[in-house]
Amino acid sequence: MTTRTQEYLIERLGLADVIAVARKKTVPLHKHSFWYYWGGISLFCFLVQLVTGILLLLYYRPGPEAFESVRQITFETHFGWLIRSVHNWSANLFLLSVFIHMFSVFFMKAYRAPREFGWFTGLGLLGLGLVFGFSGYLLPMDELSYFATKVGLDMPSNIPIIGPPLANLIRGGLEVSEFTVQRFFTLHAVILPLLFLPLLGIHLWLVQKHGNASPPEEESKPIVERKSIPFFPNFLAKDLAMWLITLNVIALLAAMFPWQLGEPADPLSAAPVGIHPEWYFMSQFQTLKVMGRLFPGFAGEAIGMGLFTVGMVLWLLVPFYDIRALAAKRAKTATYFGIAVVGGLIIMTIWGYLAV
Amino acid sequence: MNYPVWEVPKLGGAWVIGMISIFHVLIAWFAVGGGLYLPVAESKLYREKRESWLPVLMKHSRFFLVLTSVFGAVSGVGIWFAIGLVHPEATSTLIHNFVFGWAIEWVFFVVELAAAAVYYYTWNRIPRELHLKVGYLYAVSSFLTLVIINGILSFMLTPGRAWLKVAGTGAEASRFWWAFFNPTYFPSLIMRILACLSLAGIYALVTYSRTEVTDPQMRKHKVAMIRWSARWLLPMFLLMPLVLLWFLHQVPAENRGLLELGMNTIGSGAFTQVTRISMLTIITTITIAGVVYLFAYKWPNDLSPGHAAAILGLAVIATASTEYARETVRKPYVIGAHMYSNGVRKRDVDRMNQEGYLTHSIWTPPAASQVVAGNAVFRGECMSCHTVSGYRSIVRLLQGRNQKAIGQFLDTLHKPTRESPYVKYMPPLVGTQTEIDDLAAYLAKVSNAPPAPPAPVAPPVAAPGAAPAAAPGVAPLGAPLGAPLGAPQPAQPAPVLPAAPPQKPVALR
Repeated sequence: MTTRTQEYLIERLGLADVIAVARKKTVPLHKHSFWYYWGGISLFCFLVQLVTGILLLLYYRPGPEAFESVRQITFETHFGWLIRSVHNWSANLFLLSVFIHMFSVFFMKAYRAPREFGWFTGLGLLGLGLVFGFSGYLLPMDELSYFATKVGLDMPSNIPIIGPPLANLIRGGLEVSEFTVQRFFTLHAVILPLLFLPLLGIHLWLVQKHGNASPPEEESKPIVERKSIPFFPNFLAKDLAMWLITLNVIALLAAMFPWQLGEPADPLSAAPVGIHPEWYFMSQFQTLKVMGRLFPGFAGEAIGMGLFTVGMVLWLLVPFYDIRALAAKRAKTATYFGIAVVGGLIIMTIWGYLAV
Repeated sequence: MNYPVWEVPKLGGAWVIGMISIFHVLIAWFAVGGGLYLPVAESKLYREKRESWLPVLMKHSRFFLVLTSVFGAVSGVGIWFAIGLVHPEATSTLIHNFVFGWAIEWVFFVVELAAAAVYYYTWNRIPRELHLKVGYLYAVSSFLTLVIINGILSFMLTPGRAWLKVAGTGAEASRFWWAFFNPTYFPSLIMRILACLSLAGIYALVTYSRTEVTDPQMRKHKVAMIRWSARWLLPMFLLMPLVLLWFLHQVPAENRGLLELGMNTIGSGAFTQVTRISMLTIITTITIAGVVYLFAYKWPNDLSPGHAAAILGLAVIATASTEYARETVRKPYVIGAHMYSNGVRKRDVDRMNQEGYLTHSIWTPPAASQVVAGNAVFRGECMSCHTVSGYRSIVRLLQGRNQKAIGQFLDTLHKPTRESPYVKYMPPLVGTQTEIDDLAAYLAKVSNAPPAPPAPVAPPVAAPGAAPAAAPGVAPLGAPLGAPLGAPQPAQPAPVLPAAPPQKPVALR
């Protein structure tokens, strides 16, 4: 771009203020700086999903033709297989990078004041991401997605009194059907983006406003000993390089392991043997299974759900109780809690896959 | 077969060679490119009065010495050990033709090792000019090892007409130079040189990123040397497309057809594995260009060991995919137009069809049953590419088909037509009808096939999402054999084989 064009755009679009803010912002440089990239990688994966999702919208037909339209996308539309594979792989990488981002924020204690709302909005985005995953999973309406959704929606229907009407409302009837696909499609392509995009905007604005947090041991150093680089253009360039690498990884996965499409869903057939959810729901699935064995009947599920609820509330509210100095007991307890959560998730996920 | 078969469960012998080769190539190319980098960089530092950076270059030369002379040498021997076990027939052919080539390479290799050690241990101990001469001696000798080995490797893809005329007569070594300077020799050599230079630059970035400097003068040197090292990747990005086109022009039409087949079917997603891998090479090379520019060239002060490791990681992907594509494009041969990838010589096909495959396999014990005999045929003819239930799993590809259906498919491999898609990457199945029946019995047993149904007739129209396309009259067997596990499968003409029984996958995706 020529200097004259740059000047024209800066003047007309008022970019001078934005550039000034970006130049003022710095990113801390220390041995844990690598973890700062994961927020950007999550954002990139989301953008890839947005673009590929719009392209899939051109051919996807919810309702009774859902499977046939995905079959056409995968096998007949030129490069449809690629768009669908990229959409699915970037969705998985999105959730993986959000998890890594969340845990790196947790262990750097970046949820502490004044960044509490960055933590809350981030968790909100993860929650919406998981619903994105669950709702998108049914859309091909093949055998596996059908039974996975059926099993998934059986869980809320077991809740006394409100369970059955709630499950019926989500399903659009007593069984998973074309109406469920229509509802999930609306959720996936309209409602969730409407919720996600503004929340993402707030999250990014908060990151810009408060900047990247340093880990406590770094903050305890004298200012002169701390290193940093300007966000613009230095860190942004590195972010772009990481995006390029992420795109390469997505291309590798899509080309070498294209996303599959199973047989059309048949409600009358038997559920596939060893059915299990995607990896990001596996630890919860396995925990409920174990609880079900330990406490037969509804008690197991209730205890399991109760455990998740308590755990999630404690996780969400960590900025309110981990406020003391790093050496304080509570700060250490919060760290141990984080280690237990990561360990628990990994162990239960592996156990889940081994038990299938 | 004149040799016993080495069975590597799940992984397959080809991957043993592949893993050692990829590891070796990453080091061997560095040995050639880095061998030139060291004296050129040393000379630059003297010329530009940047002597204070010499200790860093010295550190780099130690890293270079350890990596190339220990890991490079060990993995190089590992390759020959592995190919001798996996492809004894092909290795034997190479040795009989190129024994003097290897002798020459060993001479250069010994000079290279000695020069590397002398270069490192004489830093600041001998005059600068002499030290530089040792460096250049290393560069020349390591380059000459590439010159030799490139002749042997490119021969395997394109042995050339002159050599093929005498192949099997006992006079093959008389065409040494024709075989050595074969049609793909020069484009292959230039491609390898470009890769060597790139790796030299990348490894230097790894060393420099680990060098902490506080002195402003040293910081200036660091910036200059990082930028200069990043430029070592430039020839690759500028010339690689042209050299690649030259290489493809020299490759026989039938091998090029494998790539073209992939390009023609890329839109439908049924393209061949070699095309997928080749695309990966191109994509990753472009990524490396962008990442090196952003991480190293534009902001050299911020280059961290993590960034350099990421660049090296991308180089691993690019190297691995290039090596894989180079190996795969040779299919169905291990030595172009002479020996198939299962070790059967092209000229022996008719004889083995009449006299039997096992008759000529001297290490096969007498078969006690049909299944045992079929297993012997499988080990000899299929196992160089397939495993029973691991990589390119025969059980997965058969999809539980019965013995009769398997027999029909084996017939298409036994008497392939020119239109058969399998003929592009699979050797013809050789042996008598009894041996082929034995193989079908063995395959039916391992794939847990149900009893044969009475006279199956294919439906006139394929079901939605049915198995992949095949030429009329050719029985598709699961995913295309050149495609990766789980490749998408387009709608297609009616299969001749009876449909596989319904499968119940255990994973949701």
